[in-house]
Amino acid sequence: MLRMALPTGRVLKEAQRLLAAAGLSPAEDLSATRRLTVPSRCGRVEYLLVKPVDAPLYVEQGVADCGISGKDTLMELSPDLLEPLDLGFARCRLVVAGKPELERKGDNLLSPVRIASKYPRVATNYFRKKGVPATVFKLSGSVEIGAVLGLSHYIVDIVETGATLRENGLVVIEEIAACSARLVVNRAAYYARLEEIRELMQHLANATGATP
Amino acid sequence: MGNLPAQLSFPPGTELVFGPQAARRTRIDAELARVIHGWGFDEIILPGFDTAESFDGADGLYTLVDREGSRLVLRADFTMMAAKALAIELRRANRPIRATYEGRVYRFRPGGHGHRVEQTQRGLEWLNARGPVYDAACILIARECLRAVGIEQPVIVVGHAGFVNAVLGDRGRAERRLLEALDHKNPSRIRVVAERVGLDADSVRLLETLPLLTGGPEVIKTPRAFALNRAASAALDELAAIGALLADCGANDVLFDLGEVRRFDYYSGAMFKIYARGVGDELGGGGRYDRLYDRFGLDVPAVGLGFDIARMAEAAPRDFGGNGPGVAVRADAPGALATVLAHRAQGHNVTLGEGT
Repeated sequence: MLRMALPTGRVLKEAQRLLAAAGLSPAEDLSATRRLTVPSRCGRVEYLLVKPVDAPLYVEQGVADCGISGKDTLMELSPDLLEPLDLGFARCRLVVAGKPELERKGDNLLSPVRIASKYPRVATNYFRKKGVPATVFKLSGSVEIGAVLGLSHYIVDIVETGATLRENGLVVIEEIAACSARLVVNRAAYYARLEEIRELMQHLANATGATP
Repeated sequence: MGNLPAQLSFPPGTELVFGPQAARRTRIDAELARVIHGWGFDEIILPGFDTAESFDGADGLYTLVDREGSRLVLRADFTMMAAKALAIELRRANRPIRATYEGRVYRFRPGGHGHRVEQTQRGLEWLNARGPVYDAACILIARECLRAVGIEQPVIVVGHAGFVNAVLGDRGRAERRLLEALDHKNPSRIRVVAERVGLDADSVRLLETLPLLTGGPEVIKTPRAFALNRAASAALDELAAIGALLADCGANDVLFDLGEVRRFDYYSGAMFKIYARGVGDELGGGGRYDRLYDRFGLDVPAVGLGFDIARMAEAAPRDFGGNGPGVAVRADAPGALATVLAHRAQGHNVTLGEGT
């Protein structure tokens, strides 16, 4: 039986829908259960419910053979994993956003910009690549407030519809990456359980309409 | 019990093992050494550090500065250090050499994921080993080693550095993001980056297929349907030859992975890595590096193999290794030492101490 790490929260509902479409329905509703592991009805997969930010770690360490994780989380953690399939749901963009009047592209490049983000590593790398000195603050939630109240010039965050930004008077300044949910696979498990993983990839690919 | 004072901790990622786990690791190394010696390899003891140039290009080196201001580097890789050591020997007479080593290597890896910066390895260097028979022999040694420590159903995955390099071409090879996408077996990303780099449509299609080319010997045939350059075809021929030699010895369980890119730059031919069920990362690996000795002005076709002892210990069965129970002898008992010696003479384990 393959063990698959699933992120709770925002992604779980859509993940569950995809698993059902792939013929891998969990034996009980994952959003309602209090258990940490739930088998699939077919008995081929055991689901492990973990915090989104922890899912890649469980897979990297081989506690789970595979898992579902948002590209944004993968970019932040850069775990040592295989990422063979774009599952196509939970689409969002990782962006730099800020107040429109504070847009300071190109000017005064030597004074560090202040960035607030739940993705400090992504933010740091992005500004470093652009050659812009930046001080990055790691926040755990409500990142928008950082820019609204002047903690930071900009925020680096994920945007789905842009409604939250708009409500707070912020605009997207640059896009860093387009994100979506990905199937991730532990390297050892990929080889040691090649047939099972292949079969899983095929079922998921059929359900998403992607080619594995 | 209170908190430990700060001076009682080691830097994260260093290795500290004591008791049965350490005994187990020692036993594992002894078994690997026994097998490797059995294949005619001589022990080599290498310096713990070297000048910085010896590991040029490697990431995460630990550097130190000696009293004269020279920059030195802790041993980061055995093969590169052994190459230098054995080049000295080969300049006297260019001959076949079989050497095996054991020890630690040091490379910094960003923390937070349980990464280790210090690793104990046992490995071998086989110099002037030309032709697929030596590649196959290396894999057979690896299998014998795994069997010797009781690792059931290990998975050995064989790829070829020359194949991927030939398909990528100079332009593709220079693109780090393309190598990353290949390494993550992420077909959609491979396509995007390969197109951006400007590779021709046929190469893009082949690269995008590579993540799927993992499996039995049949995967070696698939790329033949594409227009391949001579180097790529030659690499496939080599893999097929190695596969045939292994199959002749009944080693039918070896997997091939044509999309394998995660190796040091020095690999030039077939390369392999070893996994076991239940252990999340590689137990070891090896391969061919025919151009490594060029820098010393020597033409030395070579293959090598290395094991990560800590991962081997994770993969070995629970009851492997460890000291057997000892006969307890009280230190204050009359004639305690004579009793101990009598037990030792019979080969028993003994613990001399205060308790019973």
